[in-house]
Amino acid sequence: MVSGALLFQSLILGLLLGGLYALLAAGLTLYFGIMRVVMLAHAAFILLSAYVAWWFSSTTGLDPMISLVATIPLFFGIGYVMHRFLLARLRPTTMTMMSVLLTFGIALVIEGLLGLAWTGTQRRIHLPYGTSSVEFLGAQIPVVQIVSFALAALSLASLYLIMKRTQFGRSLRATIQHGQAAQLVGIDTTKVAGMGFGLGLATAAVGGAALSLQATIYPSLHWHWIGPLMAIIVVGGLGSIPGAAIAALALGTIRVLLEIPMGSTWAQTVFYVALFLTLMLRPQGFFGGRLAQRF
Amino acid sequence: MSTKRWTQAGAVAATAALLLAACGSGDGGGGGAGGGGGGDGDAEDPIVIGVSLPLTGDFAEPGKGVQRGYETWVEMVNSNGGLLGRQVELIVLDDASDPARVVSDYESLIAQEEVDLLFGPFSTRLVVPASRVASEYGMLFVEPAAAAAEVFENGFENIFYAAPAIASDHYNYLAEHILAMPEDQRPQTMAVTSMDDPFAQGTAYGLRDKLAEAGIEVVVDEVYPPNATDMSAIAAQIADADPDLLVGGTLYQDAVNLILALQQLDYQPRMVAFSTAPTNPEFPEAIGGAVDGILSPTGYSLTADWPSNAGFVELHNEIHGMDPQEDEANGFTTGQVVQAAVEAVGCAEQGECQQQLIDWLHANSVEDTVVGPLGWDEAGRPDGAHMLLQYQGGEITIVLPESAAQAELLYPKPEW
Repeated sequence: MVSGALLFQSLILGLLLGGLYALLAAGLTLYFGIMRVVMLAHAAFILLSAYVAWWFSSTTGLDPMISLVATIPLFFGIGYVMHRFLLARLRPTTMTMMSVLLTFGIALVIEGLLGLAWTGTQRRIHLPYGTSSVEFLGAQIPVVQIVSFALAALSLASLYLIMKRTQFGRSLRATIQHGQAAQLVGIDTTKVAGMGFGLGLATAAVGGAALSLQATIYPSLHWHWIGPLMAIIVVGGLGSIPGAAIAALALGTIRVLLEIPMGSTWAQTVFYVALFLTLMLRPQGFFGGRLAQRF
Repeated sequence: MSTKRWTQAGAVAATAALLLAACGSGDGGGGGAGGGGGGDGDAEDPIVIGVSLPLTGDFAEPGKGVQRGYETWVEMVNSNGGLLGRQVELIVLDDASDPARVVSDYESLIAQEEVDLLFGPFSTRLVVPASRVASEYGMLFVEPAAAAAEVFENGFENIFYAAPAIASDHYNYLAEHILAMPEDQRPQTMAVTSMDDPFAQGTAYGLRDKLAEAGIEVVVDEVYPPNATDMSAIAAQIADADPDLLVGGTLYQDAVNLILALQQLDYQPRMVAFSTAPTNPEFPEAIGGAVDGILSPTGYSLTADWPSNAGFVELHNEIHGMDPQEDEANGFTTGQVVQAAVEAVGCAEQGECQQQLIDWLHANSVEDTVVGPLGWDEAGRPDGAHMLLQYQGGEITIVLPESAAQAELLYPKPEW
């Protein structure tokens, strides 16, 4: 019934989509790891970066990827400031709950500003290579999807190296594992957490540019992304970047494959089915370990 | 708190409530007087027309388009000496795309503002509740924008759709054209994909059902939710089945995303048709200019030579500084239909006059509108069909029906 070629094509499209999900979810799980913050505005920042990429590309005619030179440091700065002056002032005991409200408000502000600046019209970047594809064993791989997958892989690899190989990464992991103990050995946890937050937002900048290559964008789009992303980081284990990446790849692929028998509407429920199954069978997620249990 | 203080507090609250209520009704009364409503038909009084439109919210863009059409019609009527010798005034309320607001808007327009005539809002979701209110008050209800079949299945006799055809009839000319082709040359297989939306599905399924009945095989039939932005999975299924004909029940961004995903997978249809999206001015740029051969039904063409059309386009440009689109044209047509009924019957006020207007529109057709002559069945469905457009040489060209065609339909379609 379903041809092997279609399955193979869908598998490849699913893996590429999963790669993008992995990048988008990485920042979200990082925030939670650092300070138990549920960051509902993450997808709104992704969209903001996508709009900047579109605006940059349509006014200058240059490749939207060049906008990352400005957006990555800018988003890092915004993340640091947001943590220092907003989130760090929430009371630790009610942090998780209050961060939902605070970041929900921030998401609404970003959405409103996007609508104000660029109206509600659907936008899509026009690229010379927007419709080209590469043939691979009979399947067509769209070039834009390869670019966004490569961006995702590159950013996740850099994130991994920063976390494992640098002094800052070690301090950040110490802060994630046990904030008070980290303070006792002389780590300025507030500063480190702020920079960690900035790092998370910098991944949103990259993710947004990657997203803008392959989808139309409009100001309220982020609400459709935040749900699946939240589901991914719970399945992967809150706070675990490798967990989020693996869950994203798996769920993205399953979603695209399920569209063949179930259709698009039902296939997108896979994120929520996975979320419920995880909470029932393994509430700490599949890679998260102790961190999520403390939640 | 003692009993006495409770009583005092209660009294204060009650006084405040009364004061607020008084202010509220004062506003209502003032608005009514200012609007100049009232059904006495004095030649000095303007004819007041009430409308509720979605000027904010989901349907804000098309809602504003309809408003521009209404305004152009008012300007045209007033500069030609008015309706029945009286000037026309428009009261426009904003319902924020909310079906609850649209009901209270029309109730207040009829009961408090005492408007003489009503025009409809935009979109199926708002027209259905609004038409119920108008029906309860026995008001004529001509509406510019609710093409889904269910709008006309509520048993109301006062509703009339001021456009050539309901959704499922949009592709009638294309269906006839395909079925008239020799059997070995016409498309043998088709893929249908539609947004989960009554209008979009209505258009695509109208064509699908007619062609399937004639033996054309449907090889892909997919529905996607309105928020879908990633169309690559559906595109993969279509590319795999490689149908001759692709029909998209699309609005705008879904068509753009689907076309780009299909181009990436290197699928070349022999014939392709999308609802609505190709008529959007931003469409050619959004898909990188590869528009040639794409078909789309439309109820309105800027260049159609119906008698009133040139004047409409000119005046619309003068007032709003841009060419009218389909929404503007349907708003203007609503005005033309009501105008024809009012001039034939010779009245414009609430009461018995409304029934006479309704009866007149059921018995007669309106010969000159900017979308061509219009007539209606007993439920208010128009009896026309949509023209079919095709991009040829990067330009929108009318290809069907033959009587209005500017060029022949290009088949098979050039590669995109």
